[in-house]
Amino acid sequence: MHCQRFIGPPQSRREMLLNCANGFGAVALSALLGDQVRASSDPMTPRPPHFKAKATSVIFLFMDGGPSQVDTFDPKPRLDREHGQPIKMKTPATQFNNVGNVLKSPWAFKNRGKSGIPVSDLFPHVAECVDDLAIIRSMVSNFSEHTAANYFMHTGSGLQGRPSGGSWVTYGLGSESRNLPGFVVLNSGLIPPGGADCFTNGFLPASYQGSVFSAGNTPVANIRPVGNQKAMLGLLRSLDRETLERVGHNDAMESAIANYELAGRMQSAVPDLVEISGESKATRELYGLDDTYPQTQLYGRQCLTARRLVERGVRFVEVLCPNVGADRWDQHGGLKKGHEDNARATDKPVAGLLKDLKSRGLLDSTLVVWGGEFGRTPMAQGSDGRDHNPFGFTMWMAGGGIKGGTIHGATDDYGYYAVENKVQVHDLHATMLHLLGLDHKRLTHRFSGRDMRLTDVHGELIRPILA
Amino acid sequence: MRIMRSFATALLAVGLAGTSGMAGEPTKFDSLSLEFFEKEVRPLLTAKCLGCHGPQKQKGGLRLDSRTSALAGGDSGPAIIPGKPGESRLVDAINYGETVQMPPKSKLPASEVATLTKWVAMNAPWPDDGPTKSVETGPASAAWKKRTEHWSLEPLRKTDDPKVLNTAWPKGFIDRFLLNGLEANGLKPAPDTDRRSWLRRVTFDLIGLPPRPEEVETFVADRSADAFETVVERLLASPQYGERWGRHWLDLVRYSETSGHEFDYEIPDAWRYRDYVTRAFNADLPFDQFVTEHLAGDLLPNPRRNADGTNESILGTGFFFLVEGTHSPVDVREEEASRIDNQIDVFGKAFLGMTLACARCHDHKFDAITTKDYYSLSGYLKSSRHQHAFLDAPERIGGKATELEAIKTEIAAKLGPSNVEPKTVKDDGSIVFEDFNKLTYEGWFVTGEAFGSGPSRQGDFHIVDGTKIEPIPPGQAHTGRTSNRLQGTLRSRLFTIDHPFIHYLADGSGGRINLVIDGFEKIRSPIYGGLVLDVNTSRSAAKWETMDVSMWRGHRAYIELADGGTVDYTGGVTRYMPGNGYLAVDEIRFSDRSTPPAISETSGSKLLPRQAPSVGPLLAQYAKIESKIPTPTIGLAITDGSAEDDRVHIRGSSRTLGEPAPRRFVEVLGGTKGSTPASGSGRLDLARRVVDPTNPLTSRVLVNRLWKHHFGEGLVRSTDDFGAMGQTPSNPDLLDRLAADFIKGGWSIKRMHRLMVLSHAYQMSSAAEPEADRVDPTNRLVHRMNVRRLEAEAIRDAMLAVSGRLDLTLFGPSVPTHLTPFMEGRGRPSQSGPLDGNGRRSLYLNVRRNFLSPFLLAFDFPTPASCMGRRNVSNVPAQALTLLNDPFVLERSKLWASRTIASKATRDERLDSLYRTAFGRAPTDRERQDASTFLGAESPGQEVQAWTDLCHVLMNTKEFIFIP
Repeated sequence: MHCQRFIGPPQSRREMLLNCANGFGAVALSALLGDQVRASSDPMTPRPPHFKAKATSVIFLFMDGGPSQVDTFDPKPRLDREHGQPIKMKTPATQFNNVGNVLKSPWAFKNRGKSGIPVSDLFPHVAECVDDLAIIRSMVSNFSEHTAANYFMHTGSGLQGRPSGGSWVTYGLGSESRNLPGFVVLNSGLIPPGGADCFTNGFLPASYQGSVFSAGNTPVANIRPVGNQKAMLGLLRSLDRETLERVGHNDAMESAIANYELAGRMQSAVPDLVEISGESKATRELYGLDDTYPQTQLYGRQCLTARRLVERGVRFVEVLCPNVGADRWDQHGGLKKGHEDNARATDKPVAGLLKDLKSRGLLDSTLVVWGGEFGRTPMAQGSDGRDHNPFGFTMWMAGGGIKGGTIHGATDDYGYYAVENKVQVHDLHATMLHLLGLDHKRLTHRFSGRDMRLTDVHGELIRPILA
Repeated sequence: MRIMRSFATALLAVGLAGTSGMAGEPTKFDSLSLEFFEKEVRPLLTAKCLGCHGPQKQKGGLRLDSRTSALAGGDSGPAIIPGKPGESRLVDAINYGETVQMPPKSKLPASEVATLTKWVAMNAPWPDDGPTKSVETGPASAAWKKRTEHWSLEPLRKTDDPKVLNTAWPKGFIDRFLLNGLEANGLKPAPDTDRRSWLRRVTFDLIGLPPRPEEVETFVADRSADAFETVVERLLASPQYGERWGRHWLDLVRYSETSGHEFDYEIPDAWRYRDYVTRAFNADLPFDQFVTEHLAGDLLPNPRRNADGTNESILGTGFFFLVEGTHSPVDVREEEASRIDNQIDVFGKAFLGMTLACARCHDHKFDAITTKDYYSLSGYLKSSRHQHAFLDAPERIGGKATELEAIKTEIAAKLGPSNVEPKTVKDDGSIVFEDFNKLTYEGWFVTGEAFGSGPSRQGDFHIVDGTKIEPIPPGQAHTGRTSNRLQGTLRSRLFTIDHPFIHYLADGSGGRINLVIDGFEKIRSPIYGGLVLDVNTSRSAAKWETMDVSMWRGHRAYIELADGGTVDYTGGVTRYMPGNGYLAVDEIRFSDRSTPPAISETSGSKLLPRQAPSVGPLLAQYAKIESKIPTPTIGLAITDGSAEDDRVHIRGSSRTLGEPAPRRFVEVLGGTKGSTPASGSGRLDLARRVVDPTNPLTSRVLVNRLWKHHFGEGLVRSTDDFGAMGQTPSNPDLLDRLAADFIKGGWSIKRMHRLMVLSHAYQMSSAAEPEADRVDPTNRLVHRMNVRRLEAEAIRDAMLAVSGRLDLTLFGPSVPTHLTPFMEGRGRPSQSGPLDGNGRRSLYLNVRRNFLSPFLLAFDFPTPASCMGRRNVSNVPAQALTLLNDPFVLERSKLWASRTIASKATRDERLDSLYRTAFGRAPTDRERQDASTFLGAESPGQEVQAWTDLCHVLMNTKEFIFIP
């Protein structure tokens, strides 16, 4: 339920600072009033968390379309036993309402790692990292339809226009990077249904909006300088100074002038970010950059970019899926080929990212989250597909503050409903914020009459997976 | 609610130790059963339930820490029925029933489920625990009364003009009220700004464009007493005024031309609403009329019509349907509830400055708005439907229809007698919903001309292709009776689906039958594909068409029979049904069988009319007139459907319905006084209440919005929230005086503009004075003018204007969105629009929810989600990057430079022209010097580039986008 979603009352810089998260505002404001350094007016200035953080950055590997839990991390022998039979339980309405018989998983599960956690053969590489993962088998969502479920997973609300998790995080903590946006979305080819509003700042100030970077050498629009920029900027500075002398001291105009400095830094930082010729052969191999499957190369490149962003202090990175020709992870039909192609494109890069972060000592301070907007049904849609299932699905977390090699929660024998330790999307958000040192109940923004939160009025920590 | 079955009965056999006791009666239990409670049940309740249903929290209004409260239950009703586990909500919930699953995280172990079930079966033994104290917060409480006394709900106060010390400064009451506040705080108003700055300020404010150089010079030279008035009148009379202020209004109604979500469907003809708003502002339509047209423009006995006869008033109602929407919601009732929620949210904030939608799940947490208020308003929307309204003057198409009818009468007279027996449908126990045999459309809602005044009668015929005469059996709703070229719809009353099949005996070509359930229109697969029938029998006899509606049992629905006048979504894009064929519906039946009833073999016999040769010329005449029937003009609108009240949705869930909520306006604004509407939706009555002068909100909210746009901040800064969580007015007396004056002046918005922009306050300089800023740091008292950054549209429009590319064409369909490689995703239009938007003002750029213009977004163009009276004014690197590197800006710079080079010979003249065009002033000596240094020697061949770079810099200056 929402009250008061949507875009917020704008603010003067002064108001914004006062209203800002975790008391930073008042500090920064007093600095301003004391006529101190201007830099604190930068909304991305790093701010202390509510309590000691376990992780300082997040990489969200969003599996657009909804991978099947019973084919990945949640094995269900009953499906093998009852394959081809009608499901022996009352089923809820599904998106396509074309309920077939029980469908066993086409992939075998093996126990992996020291923890012996079962992972299906779809993910041979990620399986090697299983001791670093906390696998949540009891995720539930409120929506069976992609767009609303995507909004829900990203913003904690099924409706369009609420701030995305990455926006909340940068709103709360700022970002360590002075030259790049604090919340970056790496587009590998598929923008999830719902579009840019999955990454919107909603009612938070626009600085916290997710910046979508395309794959390739020009990831951001208008980032390549045109014309004789150096001379132009020189003239601009001089003309603006004269205007300010005429108008007198003014916050908004001075901030807009300072803004050109950040824009200038971005113009060099972004090309530097995507210039990967300095990466070693071993690293290229790790991420699958020279894989025979082009989608693996593409996704590997974006996973590598994710690491480079985290290295540069960017707070929140989301990596989107590549287009493998099938419809994302959304296999209403052709489960075998569709899931195999998606897994092929993402398995090696995801494992590569985990291993690379670990070897560089970054995994301890980086929270990696993997999952889609919902899971899939244990029975077939048509003969060889699976429909949407928000009632029980799997996600995993790894890295900063996470107890690796754990399984949390369970679904029923069919893998349809979460029945043990259900985890709401709000709980996932609360836990993510917690690991970043933020109390989800205190990370608020006053908007149109209410102190709004990422978790609305919900959210409980998933304590058993915390290290 | 469906209740647990099977083992409840089994458990009843378990030793029932308790004495029988009905709910509410005093109950005594023996020690054994009490021991069972204490040992088994109470620890369980404490461990698993009381965290959310105990003394600290009462989720769902439920407490389980006493028997009394457990019996009383929560919002959905009693939690337990002693002795009846099968009927007890608690037992259903712990068995993870359909409505509620408790505890929410994990199902209880089977043993604990059995314990609680047994306990209920034992009549729920519990030692006497005395009454549970309940806290009074409801509408009868003292706390609530305080809410009703919130400042914004109080009547407008009349205050005498305040006394001021500096009597020379005020020009009118605005100035006196402000000055009074300033003097009380030891402040003085800022000195006047210069004339050029004032003109730039007022021009951008009123028309959203920079003043032309000649306008500046005329004003500066005009020493007459009414020089300022002359300017204001010129600007208010300019058609660009309505574009500028219309856009402000569009922010309030989340104007968009697509519905977002996965496919970003077009909202067809949304732009007609945009043009309506623009025209309304230009015509200074009294605001009470404007509001009335928004809420009930379709119900006005005498709607305003344009010169071409099209209905203008009805277009106001289009705002309801600028809502976002999904294409295949799994829960269609929830989709309806969300849609209505957004409609109420926009209604509340835009017109009343009230966050009414906060009361969807619970009484408002801070304001005097109850959940019942919310659902009372919801009833107005449930009683209304979306329509693609026919806007033409009655005579434009109806006139042609009358002419055709006259010819048909002549033809009929020349034809021999004919007799077509209507078909007889064998009784198979199915239920006749409609057979049209009463020869009236009573109980149906008719739009357009196609269906004529009633069903077909004996002797009716149909002229096909202007040549062939074909008989029509009596008792059909037939859209070809007058002509195939007419369009129209016939919509049924609302009914509850209680049979699995609907059979339609129908005939047609290009006809469409839709079943609209829970108001859901984007009917297509998946899920909804079966609710659409395309009727294409093409002039054979009527045949049965069947809809399987078994999965929609219990839903509210209406049938839409359409020949044009409706929209098809099945193809993944929005398209109007063509409406150039015909649809004939003979009978509609609800049935338990998938096969339709048989049609009696003897029925349907025809005695064909003899086509006399003398009808030839008449047919030719008919064909000639028919060919002149124009395509109807269609617009987005609301229309009345079956009148029905909503019920309170307990905790906002469409699955748990509470008490009925008869339609009425918000109680705290007098909604319970007066009667509920006797017929129809009652929206006209609602509108009258919203604009009733005794409603203190409508006028206050609107004048505050005007103030905000002229002075940078509202007197109430939270422009869309006049409730307890909003801000209080900085100058309440001034706000009330303005509101009263607004009503007194006939709700004229232009009159309010004059008052505001001709005030002395509006003339103040924005230059900061450290001392005054210390006393009044947020400028709440308006001791000076606020510096404002231009809105996204004004920045873009100014660039078009100075570069000479601005095309001031008014109105019409939007210019397609220019797509960059960075705009991706589903629903992406197949073709990109022009980079410069054909030079049109930003108002006319297509607003697609999923593909908003990156240029406009960088400068805080709002996401069209809900009411947005106060846009963000952000400062992000994307702004600098856009102004530095965006091809649109580069193109503007180059054009501006080339035109300037072509028209002015010398460097000085050119510089002078650039500055006057962009800033309404000549460059200073230093600026000339700076520019000259920048231009350097202008080596041959480099001239255009050098000037382009200079123009580019000027568009990057703060002076270009800030109004001091």
